[in-house]
Amino acid sequence: MAVTALGGAAFAQATAPAAPPPVSDIVRKQAERSKQDVNLRGHPVPPIATPRDKLPMDRIKVPEGFKVEVFATGLAGARMMLLSPKGTLFVSTRTLGRVYAVADPFGKKEVKTIAQGLTQPNGLAMKDGSLFVAANKQVLRFDDIDATLDAPKSVDLSEKFNLPGDLSHGWRYTEFGPDGKLYIPVGANCNICEINPGTHAHIRRYDADGSNMEIVARGVRNTVGFDWHPVTKELWFTDNGRDWAGNEGPEDELNRLPKDKVGANFGFPYCHANKVADPDVVRPDPCAGVILPKALMGPHAAALSIKWYTGDMFPAKYKNVAFIARHGSWNREKKIGYDVVMATEKNGKVKVEPFLTGLLDEKTNSFHGRPVHILQLKDGSLLVSDENNGAIYRITYDGKARTARL
Amino acid sequence: MNLKLLSTLAPPALALAAFLCAPAMAASLAERVETCGACHGEDGNARMPRLPSLAGQPNFYLMNQLILIREGVRKIPEMEALAKELKDEDILELAAHYAAAPSKRSEETPDPALAARGAQLAASHHCASCHTPALTGQEQMPRLAGQRIDYMVESLKAMRDNRRTSADPLMVETVVGLSDHDLAALAHFAASK
Repeated sequence: MAVTALGGAAFAQATAPAAPPPVSDIVRKQAERSKQDVNLRGHPVPPIATPRDKLPMDRIKVPEGFKVEVFATGLAGARMMLLSPKGTLFVSTRTLGRVYAVADPFGKKEVKTIAQGLTQPNGLAMKDGSLFVAANKQVLRFDDIDATLDAPKSVDLSEKFNLPGDLSHGWRYTEFGPDGKLYIPVGANCNICEINPGTHAHIRRYDADGSNMEIVARGVRNTVGFDWHPVTKELWFTDNGRDWAGNEGPEDELNRLPKDKVGANFGFPYCHANKVADPDVVRPDPCAGVILPKALMGPHAAALSIKWYTGDMFPAKYKNVAFIARHGSWNREKKIGYDVVMATEKNGKVKVEPFLTGLLDEKTNSFHGRPVHILQLKDGSLLVSDENNGAIYRITYDGKARTARL
Repeated sequence: MNLKLLSTLAPPALALAAFLCAPAMAASLAERVETCGACHGEDGNARMPRLPSLAGQPNFYLMNQLILIREGVRKIPEMEALAKELKDEDILELAAHYAAAPSKRSEETPDPALAARGAQLAASHHCASCHTPALTGQEQMPRLAGQRIDYMVESLKAMRDNRRTSADPLMVETVVGLSDHDLAALAHFAASK
């Protein structure tokens, strides 16, 4: 992949002003590389959910024997999901500022808004019956939340966690790890720039009260999904590549943090994907000491949630396979992603293949849904949230149905 | 209480009165537009300093912003009480109304030198990719052409300084690091389109 070569092609189309203004070099070079193309634009998040009968169910394709059904609707901007041990499904949003609770999710599915007006409240996590909501620089803890859905009260832990309040990559993916620590990423506070490695572009972990902060991975531009491998217990995380460097990338990454490498460097802003030197933030030997990705996830594809499959419902070959939701591109002329892929590790190598497709219409270069998060239920079925439609889908496998057809 | 009667009052009093009597009545679209017009201009083109024109904005943009204002994501104290009573259907109706209203330039005069510099900055900052080459906006991105300069300068500063927490992070990334002078240049350029 040659980012610099693409830059050369785009250069001729940029109009050079007679007397160049003192615009920063990075901004100038980005403009030279990328066209002023109305296809390169951020996509809106509809703040009103798609009605059930307008959901794109007939477009969705999964391998034979699998079935995708609507699990919940009316959750405008649905992002991260969390099923509490007491049986409430919590659903976060980003732009819309809300956190929902779906009470009795396997029965009446009653949707309640338990928080609103928050700044990018993407992150949900749970410990001892308390729901943690990470909203930009805020961390709120809702104690005994299952019993207080109609009058939720929160404890503000923001001061203890001391997260930066930048809006750029200021939404968090959060989870308690197998070590009982709360993992919170802080993305780069820019598309591409020199960052302060002590405050940005890394993954942190904390004790649940916000104490004992430790940086576990550095040089991470923006991860919006991670999970621990079911056998090795190592942390695997996605990372989204930079924008405005051309259609072909640099590609998003699927990374593994080796157990003995806590605090390791994953390359941002100097080194992207498989040793792609950044064309703007330059330094000698940019990839020295950098842990390279286990797999590339596509240019601008926005690989978000990763979930290692440990259930018994799907056929045996899916055991310990990672499902990864790709939200879909914006900074690319020909759209890519808008799907769920699976990553299979064999002899240290990772193969990425499609799993849930059909939401991207390649002919018209348009999309009909944007998967964000994947949650495995006790019975081994998977839930997938769709931010674009404010809906949650459930993927099941019926081996008998398959055998009957064969 | 009749809103027509209230229209003789000064605009801020009108807004307050509309708020006070709002819960007791379901306002019609015409009544709501009259309330909005007290500040945003009766035709949706604002004549008061630092207030945005709504006329000719993309339908989605108007709908989205009203919902964000209603829910306190975009914090505008003067709008809080007015937006709170709006249901999704009311918002869709208002958005469609203003999206169809013709946009007119404000009485402000763009400075040609600033506008020329703004044109260069707009090219290097990809403004047209989202706001379209004519800067008329699309989907969640607002129309900038003909918008009030003083409103755009305030908005750009708020986004650059991380004060508008409802802002699209892509927009924050775009304006970060620009001087007040450059933000003014962008506003003068956009208003002159």
